[in-house]
Amino acid sequence: MTITILGIRHHGVGSATHVLQRLQEIQPDMIMIEGPPEITDVLKYVGHEGLVPPVSIMVYDQSEPKTSVFYPFSSFSPEWVAAEYANKNGLALRALDMPAAVNLQMKSDVITQVKVSSEQEEPDKNESDSPDADMFIQIAEAMEKRDPIYQLARHSGFENGEKWWDYHFERVHNHADAMTHFEAVHHSMSALREDNKEPNTDNDLREAYMRTYIRQARNEMYENIVVICGAWHGPALTDLDKYDKQDAKTIKSAPKTKIKVVATWIPWTNHRLSMYSGYGAGLSSPGWYQHLWESADDYDVTWLVKVAQTFRSKQMDISSAHVIETSRLAHTLAALRNKSTITLDELNEATLAVMCMGDEVKLQYINQELTVADRIGSVPDDIPKVPIQEDFEKTIKTLRLPLLPHDKQYDLDLRKDGDLQRSILLHRLELLDIPWGKRTSVRTKGTFKESWVLHWKPEIIVGLIDKSYLGNTIEQAAVSLVQEESSKTTHINVLSELIVKVIPAELFDLVQPLLDKIHGLSAISADIVDLMKAIPSLVEIGRYGNVRNTDTTLVITVVRNLLTRVFIGLPNACYGLDETHSEQMFSLISKVNESIKLIEDSDQSVEWYKTLWFIAHKDGIHPLIIGCVSRLLLDAGQFTDEEAETSMSLALSTANPPMDVAYWLEGFLSGSGMILLYDARLWNLLYKWVESLDTETFQEQLPFLRRSFSKFEYGERRQIGEKAKKGIIDTPKQNTDISTENFDHQRAASVFPILRILMGNKSM
Amino acid sequence: MNNNILSQHAEVVYAQELEELKKQDSGHIPAMWNMSPQSVVLYLMGGKLKNGFEISPKYIGSRRLMEIAVATLTTDRALLLYGLPGTAKSWVSEHLAAAISGNSSLLIQGTAGTGEEAIRYGWNYAKLLAEGPSEGALVTTPLMKGMKDGKLVRIEELTRISADVQDTLITVLSEKTMPIPELNMEVQAVRGFNVIATANNRDKGVNELSAALKRRFNTVILPVPETAAEEADIVKRRVSSLSKNLELPAEIPALIEIQRVVKIFRELRSGVTEDGKIKIKSPSSTMSTAEAISVVNNGMALSAHFGNGVMNAHDIAAGLVGAIVKDPVQDKVVWKEYLETVVKPREDWKDIYRACKEIAL
Repeated sequence: MTITILGIRHHGVGSATHVLQRLQEIQPDMIMIEGPPEITDVLKYVGHEGLVPPVSIMVYDQSEPKTSVFYPFSSFSPEWVAAEYANKNGLALRALDMPAAVNLQMKSDVITQVKVSSEQEEPDKNESDSPDADMFIQIAEAMEKRDPIYQLARHSGFENGEKWWDYHFERVHNHADAMTHFEAVHHSMSALREDNKEPNTDNDLREAYMRTYIRQARNEMYENIVVICGAWHGPALTDLDKYDKQDAKTIKSAPKTKIKVVATWIPWTNHRLSMYSGYGAGLSSPGWYQHLWESADDYDVTWLVKVAQTFRSKQMDISSAHVIETSRLAHTLAALRNKSTITLDELNEATLAVMCMGDEVKLQYINQELTVADRIGSVPDDIPKVPIQEDFEKTIKTLRLPLLPHDKQYDLDLRKDGDLQRSILLHRLELLDIPWGKRTSVRTKGTFKESWVLHWKPEIIVGLIDKSYLGNTIEQAAVSLVQEESSKTTHINVLSELIVKVIPAELFDLVQPLLDKIHGLSAISADIVDLMKAIPSLVEIGRYGNVRNTDTTLVITVVRNLLTRVFIGLPNACYGLDETHSEQMFSLISKVNESIKLIEDSDQSVEWYKTLWFIAHKDGIHPLIIGCVSRLLLDAGQFTDEEAETSMSLALSTANPPMDVAYWLEGFLSGSGMILLYDARLWNLLYKWVESLDTETFQEQLPFLRRSFSKFEYGERRQIGEKAKKGIIDTPKQNTDISTENFDHQRAASVFPILRILMGNKSM
Repeated sequence: MNNNILSQHAEVVYAQELEELKKQDSGHIPAMWNMSPQSVVLYLMGGKLKNGFEISPKYIGSRRLMEIAVATLTTDRALLLYGLPGTAKSWVSEHLAAAISGNSSLLIQGTAGTGEEAIRYGWNYAKLLAEGPSEGALVTTPLMKGMKDGKLVRIEELTRISADVQDTLITVLSEKTMPIPELNMEVQAVRGFNVIATANNRDKGVNELSAALKRRFNTVILPVPETAAEEADIVKRRVSSLSKNLELPAEIPALIEIQRVVKIFRELRSGVTEDGKIKIKSPSSTMSTAEAISVVNNGMALSAHFGNGVMNAHDIAAGLVGAIVKDPVQDKVVWKEYLETVVKPREDWKDIYRACKEIAL
């Protein structure tokens, strides 16, 4: 009976080469690789045709899928190579490590402890509620901390542990004997462990489990066992019997757990592999390792040829002579540094000097496309998955939306059924907060176009599995999510946003209940601001929603209801607001005004303008709002000339505090100065007002005036400036009815045909 | 050695270091080189020899870049040092030539007026008329000499030479031969010959290299110093070596004064204060390390000849303003803004603020 321990580095190419060599020499009947025993079952899929690395095993808590652990593999990972070998030769294959259930239990214990203590100190801070991306980083950091090779590297003058290990143990093409290689690894790790005897309960527990599992396999009468584990653990696993009793005790001390864990395969990306720099040392360059794994002794030349091809595809002129020169420089650099093999450093530096004219920016292409080489793995259909994940994969297959590790833009034409279905799926995912697609602005006009940018990341699957409790399909999950959220909220605004999201997701059954709820809430709500926020989006649906064949009359009814309440409550809501709230009200009034124009309902607009008129003449309202409503009324033709002049001169009269006038102007001009250019009355009033200010007041007001004028277009400002040079404009009682005595109608009409062509036929 | 020379060649100033390096050298020495590539890198970056002899650093910055430069020269590609004015391009090229060939004097200065005869060869017209075309009537150039003797040739400011003249280098660099059709002969380069060219990417009106010529060069871009500490170190070393050259009697200025100059230069160059809190405008001048060095030197000269021998804010101010305000209209505004918004509020910078204010622009 023999047990052979092979110490490796996770994702080490050299380790992988040597593992394969050793396996062929030893011919074992049982292979054990590092990893929680719960993944043993899914390991049998390694080597399956459809399972293409980079992939990862996701081990998660069934009742709370967000707490999960990942075991990523690339095709050059030693564990992957070993598992593939075992499956191909029909050997027994097991994982050995601390059970994931125990691991997750320990983690959640820590989290609850943190939660409890932070709640005691600062009740507002909820730090443990971190988003998905953080989860990955946390794992990486934790792994970096326990990398002991850093110490060894520091002793021998290497920059970091990766480089040390790389230089000594990961040279693929050094043709060292595999057996001596593993002996060397074993010796250096033993020496390190001697030096580093700090108690590490986590590690001790893991190694106790590992030894226990090996003993178990031995007792099952396996004759020739090979154990593949992180090099650090190697020395701890050789003397099994010495620790027999101690291990039983250690394992007893582990926390008791009732967590049920599930393991499954999910697609992974090279980019994500490279983020695990702490765990998978050297993985800042998965593409490079992949290249090393796949190529023979001439790896440097083949790499440079790939580099040249990449540059050529970017329209850079690179000749074969460049490749030759780069290779020579790389060799010389390696010689200069007394290195026996060329590493990526030398190749990159030579590429920089020869092909890129020293320009680092160009080297970035190589980093993105070759060194990291973003690939995405795939997982076949016959591996058991969560129902919602299966539904998702089936849907994207029928809709032909591939998972890609980089941005890809889709311009969807909603008049086509296929595109419409895609849009529906993406909207549903958005509802579920699964960030696969991002809406981007469409270049063409028309509501039937949508533009999405899709970018696949592994945490999307995690998000999906996390939502699995909501239902077995994407549709069901979206429906339950909306129901859950709508039952929780009392804000009309939130409900209207949900409606806006629900309609493009084509969950029409939800619209009626949501509208009912809005209806009910609006009756009791006293919050006018909330009502006003909801109106614009609802009006938009009512107006444009029919692209998706939705019944929008319902929406319009609700909007009318809301509007009535706004008409009544708005004047009071405007009363006595401070500056910041006035600004908010100012923008809300403008938005609702747009919506009123969209509805094209004369009764509603009459009511609206009445309300505005009332506000304009009410005391105690911030001049910013008064300015704004005056402008809206003027634009809508609700002011007679006299009324307009009165209100303007009232607002601009010198007796008003200059500050108020400045606010009024800001509201009135609302970002456009055109009115100053064509309305001589307003111009003269403003001119006189400015003139009336003494130097000190003028300087005080300057910042406020500047604020409203700076929002104008450059052309407008210039014209205003020119106009100001001329001073007051004589208004010979602006005669709008210009005398028509000598007007030649026929002659004037002769320009119409040309005008019609110029302006486009349809518009006239 | 003539002690009155204003600026000695590197191989003279650092003769002892070069000698020690040669003695200790154990690496493989390329043909016609004075020492192994490893020793050249050591000479540039500084360090300690086995016998304890200290080599002073010539280039302060990335070792990687120097390795690429030296490795390039061992291949048959020429080296192009590229970068902003004042990033030690010429300095590195001089030291490379001194260490590798023991001779940094084979130099062609590129200008808009540099003609073919300055690069390939010219004729001694009196002799040409008297004897007809003959080797005796030929006027050799540093390039031709370097080819014959197997030495490194330096071409300064390559991009200022007009494009058609630049291209005469192509044959020399690719075929390593220089034909002389008038005499029906050619000069073939001996091992050890290579070219180090420098070019800057800031000046207007430079002649971009042709693609054919570019392909003959490996390019190393020399960056501006990464950290303030690194830059202060460069200025201090250069100033002390220059004052040796120029026999300036003033004391080597305190590091604190140098740090101040470097700080001003860095902030103006990057357009933001060191703490990243205040945004400032950058002047039209390049604000290179070389200029910082000359400001400190200038200040030392002033304090030595007109002051008390210890450099103070007043001595620096004149040089500082001169280095920064190159454009009398724009830069003046930039400098004044910087003085008022950044220099003035700094408690311990009061002296320099006052000194600069005194210099009427």
